[in-house]
Amino acid sequence: MGMKSTRYLRQSLALFFIVTLIPALVVAAVWYLNTQAGAAFELNFQSYVLPVMIVGVLPALILSFIFAELLARPVLRIHAAVMELARGNFKAQFKSRGAGEFEEIGNALDQVAMRMQQMLSQASSETAIIAAERGKLYSVLNSMTDGVFALDRSGRIILFNKAACQLTGRTIGQVAGQLAEKVMPFRSGGELIMTRWLASQPGTEHKIGMWKGLELYRADGQSLFVDVQAVVLKDDPNGIAALVTFHDLTKQQQLEEMKVDFVALAAHELRTPLTEVKGYLDVLANEAKGLSKSNREFLDRAVASAATLSGLMHNLLNVSRIEHGELGYQPEALNYVAFINQFAADLKPRIKQQRRKLKLELPKTLPTLMADPTALREVLTNLTDNAINHTAPGNGTITITVVQHRGEIETAVTDNGVGITADALPHLFTKFFRVSELKSTTRGTGLGLYICKSIVEAQGGHIWVDSVEGEGSTFTFRLPVHPVAQISNSGDNEPTTTITRGAHGWIKDHSVH
Amino acid sequence: MAGSKTILFIEDDKPIAEMYARVLEHEGYRVDFAYDGAEGLNKAQAKQYDLILLDIMMPEKTGIEVLHQLRGDDGKGSPGTKIVILTNLAQNKTSQEALTARADGYIIKADIVPSQLVGIVKKLI
Repeated sequence: MGMKSTRYLRQSLALFFIVTLIPALVVAAVWYLNTQAGAAFELNFQSYVLPVMIVGVLPALILSFIFAELLARPVLRIHAAVMELARGNFKAQFKSRGAGEFEEIGNALDQVAMRMQQMLSQASSETAIIAAERGKLYSVLNSMTDGVFALDRSGRIILFNKAACQLTGRTIGQVAGQLAEKVMPFRSGGELIMTRWLASQPGTEHKIGMWKGLELYRADGQSLFVDVQAVVLKDDPNGIAALVTFHDLTKQQQLEEMKVDFVALAAHELRTPLTEVKGYLDVLANEAKGLSKSNREFLDRAVASAATLSGLMHNLLNVSRIEHGELGYQPEALNYVAFINQFAADLKPRIKQQRRKLKLELPKTLPTLMADPTALREVLTNLTDNAINHTAPGNGTITITVVQHRGEIETAVTDNGVGITADALPHLFTKFFRVSELKSTTRGTGLGLYICKSIVEAQGGHIWVDSVEGEGSTFTFRLPVHPVAQISNSGDNEPTTTITRGAHGWIKDHSVH
Repeated sequence: MAGSKTILFIEDDKPIAEMYARVLEHEGYRVDFAYDGAEGLNKAQAKQYDLILLDIMMPEKTGIEVLHQLRGDDGKGSPGTKIVILTNLAQNKTSQEALTARADGYIIKADIVPSQLVGIVKKLI
């Protein structure tokens, strides 16, 4: 750049000398000739000065014009291009060849134009992105099924999504700029719990508040039950002080109630016909004489299936009770050995009918076990039912083993049946889990083991399974003893009135001793 | 053996009452029927039965109401009569209520078959 400047300076100086020195030299030459010619010399304008003027000034004028032209042309060009810039045309070209500093100014301006062009296109693409993002944000907000609204620092609504409109039955026009506590009064026991919380927040830190089951009145006066989540925003540049989301529970709650009602209804309504099916089959099985062998078999199958159906319904009902916390446990002091003996005695007819074998391995005495006998019977029934279902008639053997393990009593139900695949083992106690590979001979709801686990755990115990595929399974559960007194198995201490509990029912037994 | 024993069956569902009655009569019991709670209470108060089998969900009076009225506030009414609830309501609450009101048993119909009921009845009376 320095070199170029010197060149232009030189050129300018040369021009200056040419323009000023040529007339000066001409005048000097005339003056000299004049002195040579003596005093007689007359300055004849026409013969001397005019030609001198013409010869000296004319080139100077021409050169000046050229110079001015050289100087003005790029300036004009730059001016024109700058005007183009001003009009918003950033594609203007300033570049002027061989015009020294002007070339550089032109280049610089070209760069400015280019940079501005870049900035402008970047800005316009950013604007497009912002518009697209905003569109996306609105789509997201408005396609959400949860109600969302935002508040400014004074607690007025500045954003209200579509779901919020639908859930509350209000339009954006009705809520925009309104105080949240007026148009969105979430209440819990009549208290404006959320707005009060929000008002107590200084807004200097990010905070989240959550409420379950708040009541909100719709524009039409109907009430909604909602879960609410409010987020206090810290120094939000958009003036949002809080963002509130609410989730409608009304449908969920209705559904839940319907489910409970349905199970209760199903349990009662299905039991009534089932009672008759089971009952008349029983009457028929006892009274029918002279049935052919195959007819007797059909009848037995019907009896067995009715019993299975009864068991399934029983389990379904139990699951519903477990889930609603209605399976109340009534622990009693149990003589567990006697309890197991009684259970085995009750199970015998079924074992015999299904052509399986039942073995008991019991200790002579055990500490008194504090547990709910009905629930324990439930566990044992499910475990032995599974054992029967997964063994083959003829050689299926089910063993109930009871041992004491320090402060716990361990009960194991072992079978020599099909066993369980290793990949199924971890899921066995999950609700509705059924081992898929098992043959169609097994049936169930996949609820039995879930019920067992729930019952055992509710009484402070734990349950697990060991199984080898093809060899059989052992289901074991341990219950804490909470010893009351060591009682012998002789029955001397038996009370005179006991209550024999069945699955859900009970009978006072006055005849024991 | 059971020839002289009398049973009152209070049950609004006739087929069910008849089904149980059939096996009980087969065993030699004498069975009377009442098809709603009020009728059942009248019959129970008019005559002393050895056993009353009592449904819960019935028109006029529920089985629990009948039970309360028969046993009285002190729970000592109808001392010579065993009262067993025979229902398909399996709620613990109801079962507990029946126990408190001095029922002698609480049986879920769907859990037993008539021959098992006979076994229970034989034990009771």
